[in-house]
Amino acid sequence: MAISSQLSSDGQELTISIQGRFDFSLHQAFRDAYERADIRPRRYVIDLEGTNYLDSSALGMLLLLRDYAGGDDALISLINCNPDVRKILGISNFGQLFQIS
Amino acid sequence: MASDRLVVLIAEDSPADRMLLSTIVAREGHRVLTAANGLEAVALFEQERPQLVLMDALMPVMDGFEAARRIKQMAGEALVPVIFLTSLTESEALVRCLEAGGDDFLAKPYNRVILVAKIKAMERLRRLQATVLEQRDLIARHNEHLLSEQRVAKAVFDKVAHSGCLDAPNIRYLQSPHALFNGDLLLAAYNPSGDMYVLLGDFTGHGLPAAIGAMPLAEVFYGMAAKGHSMPEILREMNAKLKRILPVGVFCCATLASVSFQRRTLKVWNGGLPDGYLLRADGSREPLVSRHLPLGVLDAEDFDERCEVFPMAPGDRLFLLSDGVLEAENADHQLFGEQRLLAVFDANRQPQRLFDEILTAVERFRGRAQDDLSMIEVGMMDVGMLSSAPVPFVDTGQQGPLDWSASFEFRAESLRSFNPLPFLLQLLLEVRGLRGQGGALYSVLAELYSNALEHGVMELDSSLKRDAAGFSRYYRERGERLACLEHGFVRFHLQVRGDQQGGRLELGVEDSGKGFDVARVLAEQERLDGFCGRGLSLVRALSKRCAWERGGTLARAEFHW
Amino acid sequence: MDDQHLDNAVLLGLQEVMEDEYPQLLETFINDSRDRLGTLQQALGAADAQTLRLAAHSFKGSCSNMGAPLLAGLCRQLEDAARRECLEEVPALLERIAAEFAIVSIRLKGELQRHRFG
Repeated sequence: MAISSQLSSDGQELTISIQGRFDFSLHQAFRDAYERADIRPRRYVIDLEGTNYLDSSALGMLLLLRDYAGGDDALISLINCNPDVRKILGISNFGQLFQIS
Repeated sequence: MASDRLVVLIAEDSPADRMLLSTIVAREGHRVLTAANGLEAVALFEQERPQLVLMDALMPVMDGFEAARRIKQMAGEALVPVIFLTSLTESEALVRCLEAGGDDFLAKPYNRVILVAKIKAMERLRRLQATVLEQRDLIARHNEHLLSEQRVAKAVFDKVAHSGCLDAPNIRYLQSPHALFNGDLLLAAYNPSGDMYVLLGDFTGHGLPAAIGAMPLAEVFYGMAAKGHSMPEILREMNAKLKRILPVGVFCCATLASVSFQRRTLKVWNGGLPDGYLLRADGSREPLVSRHLPLGVLDAEDFDERCEVFPMAPGDRLFLLSDGVLEAENADHQLFGEQRLLAVFDANRQPQRLFDEILTAVERFRGRAQDDLSMIEVGMMDVGMLSSAPVPFVDTGQQGPLDWSASFEFRAESLRSFNPLPFLLQLLLEVRGLRGQGGALYSVLAELYSNALEHGVMELDSSLKRDAAGFSRYYRERGERLACLEHGFVRFHLQVRGDQQGGRLELGVEDSGKGFDVARVLAEQERLDGFCGRGLSLVRALSKRCAWERGGTLARAEFHW
Repeated sequence: MDDQHLDNAVLLGLQEVMEDEYPQLLETFINDSRDRLGTLQQALGAADAQTLRLAAHSFKGSCSNMGAPLLAGLCRQLEDAARRECLEEVPALLERIAAEFAIVSIRLKGELQRHRFG
């Protein structure tokens, strides 16, 4: 499975892990990972440790998550980015919208 | 079910076997055609187009192999299963059956249960093939439809985009014919004073969704550039428009650049595109780094339209590229990347060969050509383009107002955020006699306004611009001082008089600053050829009469027609 | 029933498939086989190995369908000899085939009688 998600035990934080290429083919799976009626986390963590590439539609998907999670009030961090992924996020200046570490 | 009823052709030379087979098949509810040799079988097939053929391999007149070959040929793409009836056991003979187009075998003696099961299996296969063909044709029709829609969309778009100046002599560009539907956008236009604006954009996604935003973006770009709006204004409008019309998650990575041939400057804003480059004549490079989020992501109040300014000398070139170059991927999933691009830059000796060298390097890296890249290069040239920058206006055939005057005062708060030039230009172009010199008019207005604002109101020292480091410091300070401007004003005085034969515009630009030693500065400018020097001599060259009064705080210029 | 000339189980199967047309099938086989024997004799006279092979092959197929294993086996040997172009083996084989067909045909006619009046 290219996408897996896990809710913290207190229900406050949802971690979504992405394996391989993060591109348009994951569109639906990525949405399904956070658009769940049964959870309402306060923070989102996108774990990109296993992600070796992301394209502009992946950036679009991150913006959709941000919108869903409250826009400017959303708390979303992108963690474990490899240098290539970090470069793509850097070019797009997504650091202004997401916490990148 | 009636639809399960097939027409089955049986070709078998032995009458008893033929009779036995016919009976078995007919008992299953199918209609049976019989032939005693291959030739009869082919004739019957042509006439009746049965859906399934049971074919004896060895027959007189024409054997089953040849008959099967001809039947398969006649059937074309449709699957007409041929089951060979054979007591052949040698594998060589079975291979011949397959080579002739046979789909299955039935060995003698016949077994009714197996024969019935095989007919059913073949029928499933036949229907599957028919469905596949049907769907393939449907997809082909849809695709054709889509392509023709794209052709129409592209034609409309080209009407909008081709009003630009991509064919100017100092521009070289490369764009695939599918660029629009890859989300790539390349635009170029002059502003009224002959500055060149270039936009390279890359919308997320592919196909129509990626192309749809290109139209409004191009309209904003061309409309505002032609009216003399500044880069920050154009950027704000483009961002606001895209934010308004595009769904969340769709945006446009873009670099907007303006090249001023008069001031010899390059102004750049990069949001989300790979580094562009200012390629200097001496072989050095200045990366033009993305410092902003792409267009269409941020709300208007969060949008940052700050640009970077670089001095640009004749022979220097602005180079922009889409991510198609850097993200070209080889069979091992490696990306072409920045290092390989920079190596091509380093190896380049003839500037006009650069595009070809990049394409060749990408092709060599991937093993095949890449067809979704966009590149543009804009060279700095000597002023001389000014006359070729037409100012758009709608000629109503009216003379326009010929006897009027107006004065405007823009105070600190307005100066911080408002660019009065497009507004003043539109007003002046109401006068028909001035329309032919719109470019010169705008250039003089722009020059006098920036002098009044930068040196008069904000007291910036133009001698800073003598070298590259001072140059960027100058523009940094300009931004900082403007952002916290509290006092001061710039006034425009316009006086228009005329009759049927001709007329004149008297223009005055006044500022709240301390003024300057007019004689000394003018003398200095004759000598200097730095980044600062051009302004006042340009005004003198373009207007009929010009003079400075009140210790340099009031500049006057005249235009006649 | 253990019979090298005619396999009763096969005949029962054919009867089930053909129903009313069973006798017609048997007659067709008998008449066609008679023609084939003629063809084989002619081909031998003309030393035409190819015609011999094809006719033997086809005959073999019908024999196997009609449940005449011994006759089918002899046809296979004939087909084989013709393929190898060993025409000297053919006269003896043809004689055995004619004899075996005589037996099969008598048995089939008996079957026809039984079917019609039995």
